[in-house]
Amino acid sequence: MKREHEAEALSVVTGLAAGWLAFAVIVWLHGESPREMAGLLVGGTWGTAYGAGQVIFKATPILFCGIAVHIGLRAGLFNIGAEGQMTIASLVIAAVGASLGASTPALLAVPLMLGCAAIAGALWAAVPALLRAKLGAHEVISTIMTNRIADALVGVALGLGLAEKGTVRSADIAKGARLPRLEAFLPSLRGSAANTSVFVALVVLLLATVLWPRSRAGREQWLVGLNPVACAAEKISVPRRLAEALIVSGAVAGLASAATVMGYKGYYEGGLGAGAGFTGLAVALLGRGRTSGLILAALLFGTLDQGGLALNAHIPRESMQVVQAVVIVAVALGDARVRAFMARMPRPAAAAKAQP
Amino acid sequence: MSALAAIFSASMLAQTLGASVPYICAAQGGVVSERSGVVNIALEGTLLSGALAAVAVAHATGSALLGVLGGAVAGGAIGMLHALLVVKGRIDAIVSGIALNLAAAGGTRVVLRALYDSSSNSPSIEGFRFGATGAGGGAMLVRAVASPLFIASVAASIAVMFVLARTRFGLRLRACGESPFAAASAGVDVDRTRVAAVCLGGALAGLGGAALSFEQHQFQSGMSGGRGFIALAAVIVAGWRPGRAALACVAFAALDALEGSLQGESRALHDVVAMLPYAATLFALAALSLRKGAWVAAPPAGLGRHPD
Amino acid sequence: MDVLATRAVTRRYGATLAVDAVSTCFESGRLHAVIGENGAGKSTLLKLACGLVAPDAGSVAIDGQPLSPHTPRAAIARGIGMVQQHFALVEAMTVLENVMLGAEPLRGGLLDEAEARRRLAEVTRELGVTLDPAARVRELGIGDRQRLEIARVVYKGARVVVLDEPTAVLVPREADALYEMLARLVAAGRTVIVVTHKLDEVVAHAQTVRVMRHGQLVLSRDVDHDDAERELRALAAAVMGEDAPAQPAAPPRACGTVVLDLDDVRLGRALRGLTLKVHAGEIVGVAGVEGNGQRELTRLIAGLEHADSGRVDVAAASVVHEDRHQEGLVLDAPVADNLVLGEHAALSRFGVLDASALRATAHARLTLGAVEPGDPSLLARGLSGGNQQKVVVARALARTGDRAKLLVAAHPTRGVDIGAARLIHERIRAAASRGVGVLVISSDLHELRALSDRIAVMVRGRIAQQVDPGATNERLGELMLGEEGAA
Repeated sequence: MKREHEAEALSVVTGLAAGWLAFAVIVWLHGESPREMAGLLVGGTWGTAYGAGQVIFKATPILFCGIAVHIGLRAGLFNIGAEGQMTIASLVIAAVGASLGASTPALLAVPLMLGCAAIAGALWAAVPALLRAKLGAHEVISTIMTNRIADALVGVALGLGLAEKGTVRSADIAKGARLPRLEAFLPSLRGSAANTSVFVALVVLLLATVLWPRSRAGREQWLVGLNPVACAAEKISVPRRLAEALIVSGAVAGLASAATVMGYKGYYEGGLGAGAGFTGLAVALLGRGRTSGLILAALLFGTLDQGGLALNAHIPRESMQVVQAVVIVAVALGDARVRAFMARMPRPAAAAKAQP
Repeated sequence: MSALAAIFSASMLAQTLGASVPYICAAQGGVVSERSGVVNIALEGTLLSGALAAVAVAHATGSALLGVLGGAVAGGAIGMLHALLVVKGRIDAIVSGIALNLAAAGGTRVVLRALYDSSSNSPSIEGFRFGATGAGGGAMLVRAVASPLFIASVAASIAVMFVLARTRFGLRLRACGESPFAAASAGVDVDRTRVAAVCLGGALAGLGGAALSFEQHQFQSGMSGGRGFIALAAVIVAGWRPGRAALACVAFAALDALEGSLQGESRALHDVVAMLPYAATLFALAALSLRKGAWVAAPPAGLGRHPD
Repeated sequence: MDVLATRAVTRRYGATLAVDAVSTCFESGRLHAVIGENGAGKSTLLKLACGLVAPDAGSVAIDGQPLSPHTPRAAIARGIGMVQQHFALVEAMTVLENVMLGAEPLRGGLLDEAEARRRLAEVTRELGVTLDPAARVRELGIGDRQRLEIARVVYKGARVVVLDEPTAVLVPREADALYEMLARLVAAGRTVIVVTHKLDEVVAHAQTVRVMRHGQLVLSRDVDHDDAERELRALAAAVMGEDAPAQPAAPPRACGTVVLDLDDVRLGRALRGLTLKVHAGEIVGVAGVEGNGQRELTRLIAGLEHADSGRVDVAAASVVHEDRHQEGLVLDAPVADNLVLGEHAALSRFGVLDASALRATAHARLTLGAVEPGDPSLLARGLSGGNQQKVVVARALARTGDRAKLLVAAHPTRGVDIGAARLIHERIRAAASRGVGVLVISSDLHELRALSDRIAVMVRGRIAQQVDPGATNERLGELMLGEEGAA
C-alpha cells in the first residue's frame, strides 16, 4: 500500500539525513567545512575510476554479510554472528586453497572454494541454530559468543600450522583458486582491489531476493518470522525453519570470505575483513530486503569506508563509524514510529500488497 | 579450591584481582540493566568510552578521582542514550547496542585524535598512587587489594546486591524486569525505572572503563578488547545475580592472568585460553535452556518486553 | 452513600460500542454483582470505573468527586482497587514483595519488611486467610494467587474492591471460600463489586445486581433472596434478552462413523473428564461460557496439546482456531499464502513453489469462500474482519473431505457481519452434508441453534449436558451459568 511504502521511504530518508547531519557535526567539530569534506569524500570515491573500484571492493564483503543478515531477519532472527561465520569460512578456505595443487584449474578450484566457504559458514552458524531450535537459546547471545570464539580460533589455527613459518598469515592459496581482479578486464581500475567476487555477491543477492522467497523453505521461513503461532497451528515446524534460516544465513556470510581471501589477499591473516559482519547488519536494516536497497546500502557503507580514507588527513576515518551508527539508530527509530503507527490502525482501510 | 590455591601464586592472584576490576564493574552494570528488563550488549562500548573519558579528565585536571568520576559519567551518558532509544524510542535493544558499540569504537578514536592528535593512544597518566612498592608477589597482592578501584568494584558489587534486595528502587527494578505488566498495574512507572536502571548500569560500566585505562596508565584505542562481552557472558553464566556475576568475573580474570603467564608459549595456547569464557557461556546457555542443574538461573522473565 | 459512580460513561472499540452511556451508583458497604453475556460490556464498565480504561465520553466519580486524571494510579490513591481476571503478579518474587510493590513502607530509606509484614498480617486477619509472606508466587496455586491479589488491593487501602470474573478459574469449593472472604470485607465496611457470569453466585451472595446487555445497563436492583429459583430464572432472562422464536428443528441427519471420540479426557485444570462423540455428517455445537475449557478442547483436537489422561480418538481434523489474528492468520503475508498455510510442500516442486498452482488454489478457495476483494496478492491485514474470517474458514473447509473427516470451528463468526456469518454457516452446513463431522464451539447461542444437530453444554472442563437445539435460551442459560454439572 502507498502509505506503507511512504512510511518505509521516510525512515530511510530520515536515516540518511541523520547520517549527513552527524557527518556535518563531526567535520565541523574538527574545524573543517562540511561541504568541502563532502566534496573530498565524493571525489576520493566516485571521483575517479580507482576510487569507484575501491568502493566496490569495500562494498563486496559488506553486501555478502548484508544478504546474510537479511535472510535471518526475514525469519525474525538476528544473526549477529555473520562476523564469526565469515572468519571461520576464511580460515577454512585459506587452508583448502593452500592445499590445492598449483595447477588446479580455476573451473574446479573456484566452485570448490566457494562451496567450502558456504559450508564452513553454515556449520559455524549451525551451533547457535541448533541451540535455538533444540533448546530455545536466544540467537543474539549465542552468536556474540561464537563470534568471539571464532576470533580466538584464528590465533589457534594460525598458531597450529596454518601460518607460514615466522609470519602471521597463511600460505598463498593456489593460483586457480583466486578470483581475478576487475583491473584485468577494465584497465582504468588499475590499482583497485575490486575483484570478480562482486559478481558472486550479485548472483547470491538475486538468489536471496528473487529465488529464495519463491522457494518453499524461504517462503515458510518468512511466514514463521511474521507469525510463528499461526504457522505452528497449521503444523509448520517452526524450530526447524528457524534453524534453517540461521544456517543459510551463515552460509552466505561464509561466502563473504570469497571477497577477501580469494579476491583480495590470496591468503588469510588475522583481522582480514573484520567489521563486515556488523556493517552487514546496517546494510540489511537500511536495504529493506530489496535487491536495489541492499546494493545501494552496501555501496553507501562502502563509500563511507573508502571515503574515510580519503578524509583521513583532515578528520579521522573512524568518524565514519559514528556516521554509520547514527544511520542505524535513525532508521530503527523511524521503523519503531512506523510500527507504533501501524499498530494503532488495526484495519487499514486500503489493502496492502505483499513483499515476501 | 585447594587445587586452585596451589596453582595460584600470590602474584597470579594479584594479577587476577587487578584484571577482574573492569569485568566486575561492567558485569554489575549489565546486571542492573538486564534485571530491569533491558538487554545491554552496549557494555563493550560503554567500557571503552569510560576508559577514554577517565583518562581525558584525569589528564586535564590532574586528579585521578575526578578521572574516575568522568569515566562513570561518560558511561552513565551512554547508558542513558541506550535507555532512551530502547525504552522511549522503542527500538530493538540489540540494534541500539550494536550502534552504540560502533559509535564508541569510532567516537573514541575521533576524540583521541582531537584531544591528543594520536590515533592509537593517549599520553600517560599517573592514576592512583598508593600502597606498598616492590616487585614481589606479596607486594603486588597488597597493591591489588588496596587499589581504590578494586575496592570500588567490590563495593559496587555489594551495593548492587543490597540495592536490588533491600531498597524500593531495587524492588521496582526487579519487578520491571520480571513482569513489566505486573509492575505497571501495581503503579510502578516502568519506563522511568528502566531508564534510571540502565543509566546507573552504564555508570558502573564506565567505572570499569576507568579501571581499564588506569591499569594501563593510558588509553589505547580499542582497549576494551571484548571485555564488555565477557562481562555480559559473566552475567549470563551467573544467572543475572550480582554476587555470582562478580565471582564469574574473577574466574574469567584468572584466565586472563593465566594467559598473561603463558609468555613464551605458543599463540595458539593463548587463544585457547581466551575463548574459554565464551565457550563456558555457550554451555551455560545450553544448560539454561535445558533447565538442568540449579547452578544456572533463568533470565528475568520480562527481559526485552515492554509493559503494553 | 455512593462511593463509586459512573456518569454516562461511553467507550468504543473500533466500530463496537462496548459501553453505551451507562450511569450507575455503587453504594458503600455492600456486595454488588454485575452480570451479562460475553461482550456485554461489563468488564469494560468496571475498567472504566477503576481508571484502567479511559472513557470516550462521560466521567467517573469517587465519593462524589470526579476521578482525574483518569489513571489506575489516581483510582488506587482514591481507594479503588481492581483484581483483574489475568493476575498481575510477579511470579519470581515473594508474596510480601508483591504486596509491597508500588506502596513500599520505608525506614531510613530502606524497605521496611517488618512493617510490610505487619500490615499484611492485619489484612489477612481481616480477610480470614493465611498467606506465607516468604512464599514465591510461582509456587502458589490459583486460589492463593487470588487471595494475594485481593490482599494486595486491600493493603493499598482500597475501600472499593472490584473483581473481574473471580470464580472463572476456581473450583466450587474455592469459590465458596472466596465469597466468604468477600463477605468479611463487606462486614469490615468495604464495598465489593464482582463481575461474573454465574447467576447462582449472584443469587447466593450478592446484595445488588446490575445486568449489562449490548453495552447498556438493562437492569439494576437489589437481589431478591426469597425465591432463589424464580430470581435465577428472572436474571437468566434479563441476561439473554428476548427469547428467540423456536426454530423448526432440522431433520436429524443420518449418523455415520464416529470421527471424534473423547472419553474422560483430562488436561491440566482446563479439561476435567470430558466425554464427547461426533459422527460423520452431523454438526455438534458446544455451548458454554468462555474459559470453561473450550480453547483447550480445540487445541487438543488440533494436536497442539496432549491430554494428561483419557482416550482421544480423532480422525484427521481441520481446525478454525479461536483467535484469527493470533493463531489463524499471518496478517502481514498475502491472502494467498494464508489460504494455503501449511500446504506449501504440496504446492512446490523440487523445493520451489509452483506459483501458478499456488495462485490457482488460492483463487479457487477465495471464490468458494466468497472473500472480498478476491485478490490473493493482498495482505491479510488489509481485509475486513469478516473477510479475514472467511479466509480462515475457507482454508479449513478446503482441507475437509478426503483428508480431514472432522471440522472444528471455534467461534467461526465472531466479529463478522451478518452477511459473512450467513455465508460461513452455509459452507459449514454444506460440509456436513458432504459427510464431514463438525464441531462448532461458540458463545453465540443463536449461531449454535442455527447450525447444530445437538448442543453440548460445557461447564468447567466437562460436558454438563447435551440438549436438543430447540431448547430455549433460558434453559441453555441455566445450564451454562449453573452450578457444577447439572447432568
